[in-house]
Amino acid sequence: MEDRQIRERPARAEAAGRGVAVRLAGITKRFGDFVAVDDLNLDIYEGEFFSLLGPSGCGKTTTLRMIAGFEEPSQGEISVAGEQVQGVPPYRRPVNTVFQSYAIFPHLNVFDNVAFGLRRAKTPKDEVASRVADACEMVQLAGFEKRKPGMLSGGQQQRVALARALVNRPKVLLLDEPLGALDLKLRKEMQLELKSLQEEVGITFVYVTHDQEEALTMSDRIAVMNEGKVQQLAGPTTLYETPANRFVAGFIGQTNVFSGTVEAADGERTTLRTREGLRVEAVARDQASPKEGEEVHAAVRPEKVRFGGSGDNVSAAEVKQVVYLGASTQYIVELEGGGKLVLYQQNAFDATGPLEGDGVSVSWDAQNCLVLGG
Amino acid sequence: MAATSKGSRKGTMNGLPDWGLLLGSVLVYLFLYAPIAVLILFSFNSTRSTQVWSGFSFEWYGQLLADPTILQAFRTSLTVGVIATLIATVIGTMTALALSRHRFRGQSVADTAIYAATVMPEIVVGVSLLVFFVAVRIDLGITTIVIAHVAFTISFVTIVVRARLAGMDRSVEEAAQDLGASPVQTFFRVTLPLILPGVMAGGLLAFTLSFDDFVITYFISGVGSSTLPLKIYSMIKFGVSPVINALSTVVLVATLFLIFGGSRLLVRKDNT
Repeated sequence: MEDRQIRERPARAEAAGRGVAVRLAGITKRFGDFVAVDDLNLDIYEGEFFSLLGPSGCGKTTTLRMIAGFEEPSQGEISVAGEQVQGVPPYRRPVNTVFQSYAIFPHLNVFDNVAFGLRRAKTPKDEVASRVADACEMVQLAGFEKRKPGMLSGGQQQRVALARALVNRPKVLLLDEPLGALDLKLRKEMQLELKSLQEEVGITFVYVTHDQEEALTMSDRIAVMNEGKVQQLAGPTTLYETPANRFVAGFIGQTNVFSGTVEAADGERTTLRTREGLRVEAVARDQASPKEGEEVHAAVRPEKVRFGGSGDNVSAAEVKQVVYLGASTQYIVELEGGGKLVLYQQNAFDATGPLEGDGVSVSWDAQNCLVLGG
Repeated sequence: MAATSKGSRKGTMNGLPDWGLLLGSVLVYLFLYAPIAVLILFSFNSTRSTQVWSGFSFEWYGQLLADPTILQAFRTSLTVGVIATLIATVIGTMTALALSRHRFRGQSVADTAIYAATVMPEIVVGVSLLVFFVAVRIDLGITTIVIAHVAFTISFVTIVVRARLAGMDRSVEEAAQDLGASPVQTFFRVTLPLILPGVMAGGLLAFTLSFDDFVITYFISGVGSSTLPLKIYSMIKFGVSPVINALSTVVLVATLFLIFGGSRLLVRKDNT
């Protein structure tokens, strides 16, 4: 794909030379007959913001709990900072967790909550006081030390949970959907705050979420999981621009999928014909070029389809639905050759687009239309 | 009907007028509390009569304190109550933890057995314990009373503590372990403080039940180790005296005090 350059942010480049903070080697976790995690292999690097992303039941939380020590893998090896941790109880592992429910100790005030881990480690009293003060400062909770958790808002409890974990300076911080219970506005704020906090302290974050937008916003790398397996492991841009398979394409953002038979395949260019009879020009990712006659799926993002214009794929269509979204407008059109297509138009200069019922022409480039594996 | 003619027949539920409901309620409360009120009233009577009011006096309370056998019975009840409560609270709390924390075969049977124990006919429990003590050759006395009281109060403690555990977020225990607390530290620093209101309420309930128990204790007390309820019963055989009224009043007040204390503990908010 020489004409499609994927540029990740410099900080997100491959972590060459960095040590491995968490290594999962051949991890399988079974609950009875149910396989929650299936032969998982992952290296998470030091100082990385790493996300496990997937729908509920995909095994992401189980994976996190195995790193924390609350579950033992049925098979495989886990090491944290180079040390194997299977069989090591949670209270002896160099990791700390921020729980989905926060799990603040309701009978202790903020100070005692944050100091809990330091006191278990027999830290001298003066040091406990100064480190707790620093941690509260860091999460903007200074002055709240004497409050009981019952008197704090959801966002503040979340900060207590964060301070309580970070104050111990763990090798790895595990976060289990920590923003799930917050309202949208607060969640957006906390996402950016968490990200800058992570850059500030330099601790490896392993972040579990089912919210793809959240993962894209914060992560250096994301492992998209489904049914206990990693579907794709990549940086946010790569994930979005070149999803490895149909699951990833559908889970990360919105996409239009064409299913059809390959009519012609030369190198990376692939032509397929859908069941409705539409001819679609697409490109194959990496070396996985399909053969003639094969059943494949190809996907194009809604923002990469335009009205009018020319390109490898041009089709007449009728506008079925127009949804004004503020920054952009979403159109659902029915293609002449059959099938529906979603497209986004930025409302950059004016908001005058076609109306429902209008006959239009839509086009998209083959290089933006990707043949999917799986 | 009532909805259409607002005001004229307001408050008619099920066709009963307000005053009917009020009268019914008053009668119920009279039925429940009048005999107790009379008992308390005559404990302050200035003559021996328990039927004719002659004037106010503390005479019978004085006699109560002057009677060494009553004081002895009171001491026995207190000793039994405290020891049995301590043992039952510890075992009952551990049972509650075990039942709510572990999934095992026959769990529903174990659950049901705990509840069934609370409604077991006392006479059956009393007889069976008597037969048991005789079979294993334990002499009847304070020891057997304590054992019996522990046996029948454990399930009450378990039920109260389990209710408290059910409302507790398990993840705080995981959080404690995650922060470096061993299982023992986790129990004493997190779990126990959080279920303490339930444990104390269960303990108070156990003490109350032990302090008031008559039927079971009657079977297994042996000679010379009477608890307060047994003492009252033996006194009444020699005729009703206002001393019994006074003694009953003391028992009643003590019991109510403990029960209200326990229920206050149970409803206590976490953020106090």
